[in-house]
Amino acid sequence: MRAGRCAERAERGSILAGAGVGLRFRHHQAVIDSKPPLPWFEVHTENYMGGGAALRDLDAIRRDYAISLHGVGLSLGSAEGLDPDHLARILRVAERVEPALVSEHLSWSISGGVYLADLLPLPLTEEALATVCRHVDQTQNFLRRQILVENPSSYLRFRHSMIPEWEFLAALAVRTGCAILCDVNNIYVSAANHGWQASEYLAALPPSAIGEIHLAGHSVRQLDGGLTLRIDDHGSRVIAGVWQLYSDALSRFGPVATLIEWDTNVPPLEILLDEAARANSFLESARSGFAHADAV
Amino acid sequence: MPTLFEVQRALQRSLVERDGEEAAAYILFDGLAPGARLHIYRNTSIGALTIALRLSYPAVHRLVGAEFFYGAAKIFIKTEPPRSAHLDEYGAAFPDFLAGFSPAASLAYLSGVARLEWALSRALHAPDAAALDMSRLFVAGAADHGRIVFVPHPSIGFIQADYPVDAIWRAVLAQDDAAMAAIDLGSGPVWLLVQRLETGVDVMRISKREWRFATQLCSGRPLQAALDMAPGLGAATVLAGHFAAGRFIGYRLETAP
Repeated sequence: MRAGRCAERAERGSILAGAGVGLRFRHHQAVIDSKPPLPWFEVHTENYMGGGAALRDLDAIRRDYAISLHGVGLSLGSAEGLDPDHLARILRVAERVEPALVSEHLSWSISGGVYLADLLPLPLTEEALATVCRHVDQTQNFLRRQILVENPSSYLRFRHSMIPEWEFLAALAVRTGCAILCDVNNIYVSAANHGWQASEYLAALPPSAIGEIHLAGHSVRQLDGGLTLRIDDHGSRVIAGVWQLYSDALSRFGPVATLIEWDTNVPPLEILLDEAARANSFLESARSGFAHADAV
Repeated sequence: MPTLFEVQRALQRSLVERDGEEAAAYILFDGLAPGARLHIYRNTSIGALTIALRLSYPAVHRLVGAEFFYGAAKIFIKTEPPRSAHLDEYGAAFPDFLAGFSPAASLAYLSGVARLEWALSRALHAPDAAALDMSRLFVAGAADHGRIVFVPHPSIGFIQADYPVDAIWRAVLAQDDAAMAAIDLGSGPVWLLVQRLETGVDVMRISKREWRFATQLCSGRPLQAALDMAPGLGAATVLAGHFAAGRFIGYRLETAP
């Protein structure tokens, strides 16, 4: 049954259940020149909305690799509706790049016509769920394809939130038919920050809806009064605890296309390839049905 | 229970206008003050937007230094926050902001350098468009040539500055102190044309007359009217240069008024 599901997933996304890395401008030339042995790259949709060298490079890279478009600006949770211009820009990039996957976030970034340039958490209420469902439906209809929605890292919770985030995400997938981009690092970070059980989070997500996994590094901030806050800054290697949680996720979901993200202090490409190779060793274990933590 | 709209407006006010009282009332304490939690998001937001500005204004960043740039950006972001998630388009108003920013008044050429950098940034991100093939012009009969209205390449930009901002921009980005020292700030105004070429974005210094002719052609004025405004320019040579550099992507014929 698991093999059947994986074949379906690979066919649906045409990204093999292998590890890819987030592509940043500084690595364009290295990728074009050295053609590293990876099945796919993920790019931020917003970085390719113009023309010129960036898009030309991506045209060259996508001849050899599957591409996933990961958006950060659509603001699926905005009470005031989606920005139709931004939706049109995403469609234009998608038509040009012909991506295997298109994803966005369970968050909001726009209010009162101002773009806040961060992924803000939603109050987890029925109203917010209905809003996000409406916007995911609108996006999927407009792009004429399924999208993936990613769980965020968060540093605050609202007093009036009623629905656990994992139930919110699962309900979103059921109601809209969207897939879930399960960011294992974000689950780890949010669980630590809010006292959630990461295992409970994973257990609540429907395995058939998981279309992609993200892995990244995060930092730890010591605050006054002995409080520790984990910050999702994508600026270091994946920590051991997140690899462990990744292993748990693969045991539950089966092998899923996995991405290494690194956005601040971006290291040489070799470091990213090394992280991807590590993810691949977990995927190999999951494929043979023996996903276990010993590999950590 | 507050509506989603109310919560988002309150957080927006907290992050942009730093008016956080209403937003804080919606947030759980949970060991850390809501204000401190909101501050994490505010920092990320200002950080991301400052990086966007720094990418568009690298020479301004070098001229004023990182600390000054961050301080100026923080004030600018509060007064002119982005209106869309397409951040390549964010920061058009930064040169005007710098022109009126009194702590930067001693650098008289700063806003001019910023204007040049914005034109370069626009050129860098402009959509792709194929250059107009000159042979397509012959479709129009010779009698119609005066009515031709050119469509400029979207990367084209024009800058006029009172200081040699192109020389300053080059010297600053090359970190060439000798070139910087050799710049004569009193050398008079410059007329610049910005364009994206195959090799990257470029800025060219042209004569005042060429600049006026080119700005007329690129702002929808018909060819004959532009020629009438530029007597003695040697327009045939100048036009051939525009064609060779791919500065037009199409044309239409002006209809009689």
